[in-house]
Amino acid sequence: MAQYPQVLFKNRKPDRVATLEEYRESGGYEALEKFVGGGISPGEVTRLVGESGLLGRGGAGFPTGKKWAAVQESGAFPRYLAANADEMEPGTFKDRVLLHADPHCVIEGMALSAYAFSASKGFFFVRPSYESSAAILERELEIARQAGFLGNNILGTDFSFDVVVHRSGGRYICGEGSALLNAIMGKRPNPIKPPPYPTDKGLWDKPTVVNNVETLANIPRILINGPEWFKGLAATPHGSGTKLYCISGKVNLPGTVELPIGTRLSEIIDEHCGGMLPGSEFKACLPGGASTRFLTKEHYDVPMDFEDLKAVGNRLGTAAIMVFDHKTCLVGATLNLMEFFARESCGWCTPCREGLPYMVDLLWRIENGQGEEEFIPNLRRLCKEVWNSYCALAPGAAEPVISLLDFFEDEVREHISQKGCPFHAKAGH
Amino acid sequence: MPRLVIDDLEVEVPKGSKVIDAAERLGIVIPRFCYHEAMGAVGACRMCAVKFVEGPFKGVQMSCMIDARDGMVVSTTDEEAVQFRKRVIELLMKNHPLDCPVCDEGGQCLLQDETWSSGHAIRRFKGKKRTYRDQYLGPYIQHEMNRCIHCYRCSRFYQEFAGYRDLGPMQIADNLYFGRFSDGKLESPFSGNLVDICPTGVYTDKTARFKVRRWDLRRAPSVCNHCSLGCNTVGNAHYRGVVRVEARYNADVNGYFICDAGRFGFSYANGGADHKGRPWRPMVEGSAVSAQKAFAEAAEALERVSRKYGPGSIAAVGSHRNSLETQCMLNRMCRAKDWGGPVFYFDPAQLRKTRSAVESLDGEIAASMREIENADFVLVAGADPVNEAGMAALAIRQAGRKKASVVVIDPRPVDLPFDFEHIAAVPGEIELYMAAVVGKAVERDAKNLEKNAAGFYRNLAAGWGNRELPAGVSTICDHLGSSKKPVIVCGTGITRETTPAFAADCVRLLRLTGKDARLFYFMPGAGSFSTAILSGDDGLDFAQLVGDIENGAVRALVLVESDPFHYYPDRVRLDAAISKLDLLIAIDYFPTEAVNRAHIFYPSSTIFETDSTYVNQEGRVQFARRVHYGGVPIWGGEHPPRDYRNFAPGSDHLPAWRVLSEIAGEPVAGSEQGDILMDCVSAAGHSTFEGLKDGNYRDAAMRILPGKAAPEGQWTFGSVGPWIGSKSSEGLELLMVEWMFGTSEFSLYSDTLHAGASEPYMSMNTKDAERAGVSDGDIVAIELDNGTLEIAVSVSNRTAEGVLVIPRHQSIGWRKMKDFSVWVPAEKIGKTAPA
Repeated sequence: MAQYPQVLFKNRKPDRVATLEEYRESGGYEALEKFVGGGISPGEVTRLVGESGLLGRGGAGFPTGKKWAAVQESGAFPRYLAANADEMEPGTFKDRVLLHADPHCVIEGMALSAYAFSASKGFFFVRPSYESSAAILERELEIARQAGFLGNNILGTDFSFDVVVHRSGGRYICGEGSALLNAIMGKRPNPIKPPPYPTDKGLWDKPTVVNNVETLANIPRILINGPEWFKGLAATPHGSGTKLYCISGKVNLPGTVELPIGTRLSEIIDEHCGGMLPGSEFKACLPGGASTRFLTKEHYDVPMDFEDLKAVGNRLGTAAIMVFDHKTCLVGATLNLMEFFARESCGWCTPCREGLPYMVDLLWRIENGQGEEEFIPNLRRLCKEVWNSYCALAPGAAEPVISLLDFFEDEVREHISQKGCPFHAKAGH
Repeated sequence: MPRLVIDDLEVEVPKGSKVIDAAERLGIVIPRFCYHEAMGAVGACRMCAVKFVEGPFKGVQMSCMIDARDGMVVSTTDEEAVQFRKRVIELLMKNHPLDCPVCDEGGQCLLQDETWSSGHAIRRFKGKKRTYRDQYLGPYIQHEMNRCIHCYRCSRFYQEFAGYRDLGPMQIADNLYFGRFSDGKLESPFSGNLVDICPTGVYTDKTARFKVRRWDLRRAPSVCNHCSLGCNTVGNAHYRGVVRVEARYNADVNGYFICDAGRFGFSYANGGADHKGRPWRPMVEGSAVSAQKAFAEAAEALERVSRKYGPGSIAAVGSHRNSLETQCMLNRMCRAKDWGGPVFYFDPAQLRKTRSAVESLDGEIAASMREIENADFVLVAGADPVNEAGMAALAIRQAGRKKASVVVIDPRPVDLPFDFEHIAAVPGEIELYMAAVVGKAVERDAKNLEKNAAGFYRNLAAGWGNRELPAGVSTICDHLGSSKKPVIVCGTGITRETTPAFAADCVRLLRLTGKDARLFYFMPGAGSFSTAILSGDDGLDFAQLVGDIENGAVRALVLVESDPFHYYPDRVRLDAAISKLDLLIAIDYFPTEAVNRAHIFYPSSTIFETDSTYVNQEGRVQFARRVHYGGVPIWGGEHPPRDYRNFAPGSDHLPAWRVLSEIAGEPVAGSEQGDILMDCVSAAGHSTFEGLKDGNYRDAAMRILPGKAAPEGQWTFGSVGPWIGSKSSEGLELLMVEWMFGTSEFSLYSDTLHAGASEPYMSMNTKDAERAGVSDGDIVAIELDNGTLEIAVSVSNRTAEGVLVIPRHQSIGWRKMKDFSVWVPAEKIGKTAPA
C-alpha cells in the first residue's frame, strides 16, 4: 500500500488527542510566529493561501484565498470568523476525527485566517452531538490562550483574536453558511440569499468569513511550506493538498484517511479501505456525502478531486464516500437519505418543505410495493422543480434520487412491477 | 428607470422595483403568497415564478426576488413557469384541508383563488394530511393551523412590521408551526391584521366567524372614527348588522393596516350581541314615539323655552364623534336660532390646545403617517402613540426600522413596540426637554438665523442652559442635528396649553436650519380638527355651560352625539345641573347616561349607516360611504324572523344633522348630501373648508390646510418661558389618560372590545410611591373632592416623578374631581390592601 505524506493527520494517535507540545514539536505555531509575530502583512497571508489553490473543504469547493480577499480592506470592524464544524452531511465525519487528532492545527488555522482579514473574534460552530469535540476544543483553546497564541496582543503584537465555542441547535441547515450566521446571532437558522455576501455584511452586519474546519487546518502548513509544496501534495496536476476522505459502507476498513487529493476511488477502496467486504461487489457509491449523485462502477477509477468528479457529472462534496454493494437496495438507501433531508428542511420554501416529503412518500410506496409507473416521471419532474427552491438543500437532496432514476431505473421498475423490494424478497423478508 | 418587456408589453419602472411589481403596473397580477408590499419580498412561497427569456437572468425565477432591469424579457405564461406554479399549488394542497365549505376564509381566500386559477383539482399525493393542534389566541383571532401554507406573512407582520414577539415560527421542515409559545391572548394590539394578511384561513376574525359568506356582505369604503387618525376601512354588513371591519389601503394614512380597537370596535352599531345596547326608537318622556311625533315634540318644547327665556337659553352641544356634516349643521342652527354654542369640548384646555394645533398646521409642515415612516428622527412630545393613536405607533416603528432615532418625552411609562429613548418628564417640563433637544441640535446653525427666529432660539437656550439634562440626551441632540427629515409628534392630551404651538415653532426652527422637519399632532377624536375650527374664536366650552345652567341662563340643552357624563370630571355637579334643566334633548347612537335622562331622544345613524365626512388630525378630509341602511340586526334569536312588518325594526335612525334640521323645522330639501354639506360649510364661513366646494374629496381624500399657517417671523412662543412653575409643591399632578381599550365611549358600548380591555391601574414613580408609602401592586385609595378613587398601583422609574397616571377606564368611578386639572397631595393617597 502506497504511503503518502500526512499533513493534517501528522500527529494522529490511535488512542488520544495530540497535545500542544506534540503539535509544536511537529512545527506547530511556527506559522503564527513567523507571520503574525514577524509582522508579515495580512495581504501576504491571503496571497499565499490564494496561490496554494486551496479549495474550501466544506463541500462547495470555493477558493479560500478568494473568499478572504472578498473582505474589503475598507470594510467595517469588528470582523468575524466562523469555523464550521457542524458537519451534518450524512456519511461525513472527517472534521470530528481531525478535532480529536490534532485540535491545535485548527486553532492555529483560525488565528492565521483571522489575521488575514483582521477578524477579532472567532466562533467555533459545532454540532451538539460533537460535545466531546467541543469540550476538547474548549480545553485546548484555553491552553493556546495561556501560551499566548490567542487572546489580546497575540505574541506581543497588536493583533488580538479569540474564539468562542458555539454549540449548534443541531439541525442540518445550520451548516449552511448564511443559516449558520443566523444561528450564531440567535435567530432562526433560515438561509439568506446574497447579496449582501457575509464577507460584506455577515454577523451583526459586519464582514464575516465562514470556513470549514479542515480548510482552516491546512492554513499553517501552507504558510510554512509555501504554495508550491501544497500543490505538489496532490495526486493530480490541477489539485492542491491532501484530503481527508471518510469512507463508510460495505468495505473492510471504513474510516477517515488522509490522502493526496485526486487519489483514485479504486485505490481508496481497494488499498486504503482493505477492499469490499467478503462476498460484496461494488455497485455504487455516493462520492461526497448524501447530496451528490450515485457514482457507478463505470467511474470506479475516477480521481477523487473537484474537477475530475465534475467531469463525470458528479461532485466531490465533503469527500464522504458511502459504498453500496450489489446486495443493497438503492431505492431503500435513497429513501433513507430522503427521509433525512425531508426532516432537515428548514421549512422556508415550498419546494423543499413540501416537495421532499412528497418524494419520500413516492419512494416509500415504491419500496413497499405500492409503486406506480407514473411515480417515475413525477419523481423526475420533482427533482427538476426543487432546483427552484430558495437554497441548495433541496437541489442537493434531489441528486441521489435523480441519479437513482438515471442509473438504476430498472431496479426501480422492478420494485413497481414486483410490487415490493426485490432485495427484501431475496433476503427472505 | 429600467425598461423591460413582460408578456410582450413594455413597461418602465422606478429603479429597484421588483419584476412582480413591474408586472402589476401592466395589470398582470403574478400569483403570490409570501410577497406583500408592506413586508417586502422574501422568496419563501415560490409561487411568483416566471420565465426570464432575455436579460441578465435566464429561466424560471421568482419575480419577487429579482429587480427589474433594462432589456429583460419576461414571460408569465411560459409553459415551464406555469407548470412550476401549478406544482407549487399541488405541494401546498398536499396538506391543506379541503374544508372550504366550513372555512370562514372561503370566498376571500387567496389560496382558493390561486388553486382554481392554476387548474389544480385532483390530489395526486397519496399520503396522509399533516395535522396540528390549534391554539387559543385570545378573543379576536381564531387559529386553524391545518390550513397553513407557511408563507411567513403572519410572523413577518407580527414580529418585523409590528414589533411584537409572542407569535412566530417554531419547528422546522413540514412540522413548521406558526403560533405562540403556549396558548394565550395575543399581546399585540394590531393582531387583527393577521386576518387580513393571511392568504388562507389560519387566522380568522372570531367576532365575525360563521356569520356570513363574503359574497353576501354589503361592503363599502369607510373610515375609522375611533381616534383622530382616520384610518381607512371597509365596513361589512349583513342582515342589518355590521359584521366586521377590515383595513383599507391608503398610502398616506394607515397603509395596509389598522389597530384592533378600530377593527373590532363596531358592535355598538348593532347594539351589542343582543342588540339591546343601542337606543333604536325615538322617545318622549320615556315612551317610544313615531319620528314625526318626536320631531314635533322637540320643536315645540324648544319653541316654548325660547319664548319663555329667549333663544340664548338654549345651548347645543356636539362632540368629536360628530361627522363634519353634523358639526356644520349644529353651527348653522346655533347661528340661525341664536342658540348658545355649538359647544364641542368639555375641557376648556383641550379646546384651546386642539385649536392651537389646528392653527399651527399648514400644508408645508403637516406630516402624514407615510412621512413619519420615512422620517430619520422622531420626537414624540406628550403623546402615547399606542394608546392615543395606535397606527401612529406602527408608523414610528417603520421609521425606527430604517434606523431613525426615536425620543419620547412623556410622563407616562410609555410602552412602544420598538426601541426608543424615554425622557420621563412631567407635563410642565415637556417643553423644557423639547427646548433642550431642539436647541442643542440647531446650535451649530443658530448664528445664521434671522432676528425673530434667533430670539426664539435664545429662549430655548435660556431654558435648558442652566439645567442638568439626563444622560443620553446629548447623543439624541446629535442625531437630531444630523437628521434631514425629522418629525415632531405632539400630543394634545396631557400637554400644557402652550405645547402644541411650541412644537410647531420647534419644527419651524428646524426648517430654518435646512431640515425638512414636519409636525404631527394627536387630537382627541375623529372630528376634533373641524370642531376646533367650528367652536369659534371665543369657543364656548362645557365648563362655562355648566355655570350658565346653574345660574339659570341656560334652560335647555340639545346634546348631539355627545355625553357629558362620560367626560365631565365632576359628576355631582353635573347631575345637579342636568336635573335643573327645563329641557334635555339627546340625539345619539350610544345608550348614554344623557340619553337615559333626556326628555326627548332621537336615534342617530352610525358611520356605517350614512354617508359622512371626517377631517383627520392632519387636515385630511375623508369620506365614509354608507355601508348599509341598518336597523336591529336579524341574526340572533329567531331566524328567519317570523315577525312580519311593513317597516324594518330599528330603522328610525337618521343622520344627526338631518334630525337637527327636522327639529328646526327646516327640513333640508333634496337628497343630495353634498349640497347640504356645502351649504353648511358656507354657513360656517371658515376659509379652511373652501377646498371642499367641488366635492372631489368624496372620491379621493384631500387635505384642506392653508399653504402656510404662521407668517415668517410670527413666533407664537417668543418670550414666555414655558417651564416656569413646572413642578408643584401642591402635590402630584393627576393625569387622566386614554388607553386603546377600556377608556373610550366606543370601548364602553362595543361589547366586542370589552374582551380586549385589561384591568386598570395607576402608574406612579418609585420615589413618589415611597413618599406615599405604597408599593407596586397595592390597591390605593385617592381622596378626591367628591369621594375616593380605588385603584391598583404600578410603580415604575419610567413614570415621571410628580404625576399620577390613571386611565379614564370604564370600570373605575373617576369622575369625582372639581376640575379637569387636579393636584393630589401625597397624604391623600393611602393603601387599602397589601399586595
